[in-house]
Amino acid sequence: MNRTIVRLAARAILGGKRVWLLGVLGVLLVGIGVGTRLLVPGSPSASLDALRTIAFGTFLPLFGLIVGTGVIGPEIDDGSIVHLLSKPVSRHTIVQSKLVVALLAIVGFAVLPMVLAAAIIGAGAQTALAFGVGGLCAGAVYCVLFLLLAVITRHAVIIGLVYALVWESLVGSVIPGARNVSVQQWALSVTGSIAPHGVVDAHVGLGLAWVLIVVVVALGTWYAGTRLRVLVLASED
Amino acid sequence: MNKVPARDVRRYVRQVPVIETRSLSKRYPGVTALDALTVDIGEGVTGLVGANGAGKSTLIKILLGLADATAGGASVLGHDIASDAAALRRRVGYMPEHDCLPGDVSATELVVHLARMSGLPLDAARERTADTLRHVGLYEERYRPIGGYSTGMKQRVKLAQALVHDPEIVFLDEPTNGLDPVGRDEMLGLVRRIYDDFGISVLVTSHLLGELERICDSVVVIDAGVLLRSSSVADFTQASAELAVEVVGDVDDAVTALATAGLTVRREGHLILVGLADDTTYDVVRDVAADQGLGLVRLERRRHHIAEVFEEGAADVHA
Amino acid sequence: MSTPEAQGPGVIHDIGYRGYTGPRLERRAITLGLFTHTLRGVYGLGRAGRSKVVPFGMVAVMMLPAIVLAAVAIVTASPETTSPPLPYTRFAMVTQGAIAIFLAVAAPQAVSLDLRFHTLPLYLSRPLERSDYVRAKLGALSAAVFLLIAVPLLVIYLGNLAAGLDPGKQTVDFLEALVGVALFALVLSSVALLIASFTGRRGFGIAAIITVLTLTYAVVSALQGFVTSGGHDKTTAGWIGLFSPMTLVDGVQVWAFGAESSTPAGPPGDAAGAVFLVVTMLVIAACYALLARRYKKVKV
Repeated sequence: MNRTIVRLAARAILGGKRVWLLGVLGVLLVGIGVGTRLLVPGSPSASLDALRTIAFGTFLPLFGLIVGTGVIGPEIDDGSIVHLLSKPVSRHTIVQSKLVVALLAIVGFAVLPMVLAAAIIGAGAQTALAFGVGGLCAGAVYCVLFLLLAVITRHAVIIGLVYALVWESLVGSVIPGARNVSVQQWALSVTGSIAPHGVVDAHVGLGLAWVLIVVVVALGTWYAGTRLRVLVLASED
Repeated sequence: MNKVPARDVRRYVRQVPVIETRSLSKRYPGVTALDALTVDIGEGVTGLVGANGAGKSTLIKILLGLADATAGGASVLGHDIASDAAALRRRVGYMPEHDCLPGDVSATELVVHLARMSGLPLDAARERTADTLRHVGLYEERYRPIGGYSTGMKQRVKLAQALVHDPEIVFLDEPTNGLDPVGRDEMLGLVRRIYDDFGISVLVTSHLLGELERICDSVVVIDAGVLLRSSSVADFTQASAELAVEVVGDVDDAVTALATAGLTVRREGHLILVGLADDTTYDVVRDVAADQGLGLVRLERRRHHIAEVFEEGAADVHA
Repeated sequence: MSTPEAQGPGVIHDIGYRGYTGPRLERRAITLGLFTHTLRGVYGLGRAGRSKVVPFGMVAVMMLPAIVLAAVAIVTASPETTSPPLPYTRFAMVTQGAIAIFLAVAAPQAVSLDLRFHTLPLYLSRPLERSDYVRAKLGALSAAVFLLIAVPLLVIYLGNLAAGLDPGKQTVDFLEALVGVALFALVLSSVALLIASFTGRRGFGIAAIITVLTLTYAVVSALQGFVTSGGHDKTTAGWIGLFSPMTLVDGVQVWAFGAESSTPAGPPGDAAGAVFLVVTMLVIAACYALLARRYKKVKV
């Protein structure tokens, strides 16, 4: 963990236009909570379902995409990553430091608004907490995956988008077998286990979900560090 | 097949100055980039000289309409830059200082596209692109993506796109930036040829004063947005009324002795500059050196350099 | 005319300069040239193979359902069927994911590259005006999206004709849908181009455009479904449709052509429908104005 890298990555994410997009998204998430509460008061379970679908199906993958690629993508794109790579810092440290920033951003702009929205809708404290933990797990996995993608290819954003939109929104929710390979479903299993029984349906066994989450995060972080070592700075395609 | 070379026709026809500015000013909050600049620039190769940040690029951008002046006006080729900018932009070429080339297209594609953006029909654009790239010295490289070019090649592409539509004047902003000495010489030679052979007037900027002395017909010197001097290069570098004297021995003694002999003396490093009154000055210096027992290494007329314009208030030394 | 031999790369030659005395085109022709250049660039024509993947991939994704629908129409054709499997006006909504991805990649391709490589001075020191640049880029992107949706729609139309449906009605419906497609193209392109013009980074532009287009639709439709089924309030649900580009234009289609709504609730009433149209025009105008302003102020 390198504090300078953390500071630099934080400034990259929080300075400039990216933070506006994240801020708007966070506000939007809370707004959904407020909106559903105002428009259709008295049916928190339906509102919760709507929040769950939107947040886990669309918001979190997009957050993960913006933040995961944002902590390292621009640097690789314009070549300024060489400044980091030429320092005597382990590649794994670089990746881990950037992931810390990404996670903090996810917590601030996605997880907290999610918890807030759930609370506004009228879900109990336990449910809100469940949403928060589940959101954090999903956010962590997405960040790692998209950061790894950004190290591997310059077209990380497009590929990540197709994954987030097509796989997670459609396939992952619908086709039974594919659910085991969907980050969204793992996170929902975690959420379902913490929330009061029956609030959130889980389609992946809890044990399997936890194992997958931990393994993907650990493996992804390690692999990203390894790939960073052999990074080739190519010119524009 | 032209009967009269185009460049000669232009030389006979144009009598007005190519560029005129009238009290042109550009102020930003806290910084004045140009301060009431009034200058006339004629045909030929004109150098725009000044330190980095002196206002050279700002002046060019204002003349091209890429930026607006805060006060004053100017005209280029008879077109007022405020009211007639569109017609003006048909007749000029611009080579920016900064990196401005997309990395994923080839030189040919880019120059053809920009030639069409200047109004050339497609066939003419292709033909002139091929010619112009040859003139600036790009051969097989022209089909590769620009992203892989060296700095010298990129500068040539920038120059080619400025010339491809046969403008009447080109603005070259620091064309020798990032080039090695050989590349710099070649670029300067090409700049000279743009006027001599192509008949296109040139306004070229540089912060390297020495190189402009070699190729320019006239020079405009600005510093911090203020015009210091504008005249032909011949005027600048004429022989000055000074002798450069170099001696072996104690320079201070020599300076004192020469001053005592009634000469205006100024010291510049190990050189002694003596005011040249008339031919007898040479004899006086020789005699003083002999009396003092100093070895006389150099005794020659001093030529000016453009750099001196910046050295206002160099101290005079009198006895 | 013989040319001297080259003395090696990099050496500058004097092979004789020829001036240009031919025709020079006017601003309109130049703008048209930039329009075609951008349109081709968006589809990856004239560029490396990799840049054709997404545009033509999305073309394929759009054509697939179109071919399927045409085939279904022909196969299930019988004397009783009077309407096609899917109304023309609903096609864009159904395929909006592909349209969004197409735009997310096309808009940055059109403008972010010029910003990133600071190429604008090369354009603006030429007869082209800043407003011409904006118009050419916006026009090209809109045309690209229009083609993307209209061509599959044409396939469906031909399939319906081959299935024996009433040609008069089909043609009218098809033309009405084309008007809707034009509106979709304009609105989506204006928004996408505006977003892309704020950044020279392609990746960020892509993410931002997708977020705005997809998320607004997801939120709006979720809320609409919610309000309709939970609160039985079709009026409010209808008004919510103003807040996403896709549902906005769909609302105009519902109002103008009596089309079947693709959302849980269309605009509530005729006056509301007119409001939808006005808002659509305002969105396009506002995006254009902001784009013009952006390019007036951009650092050259």
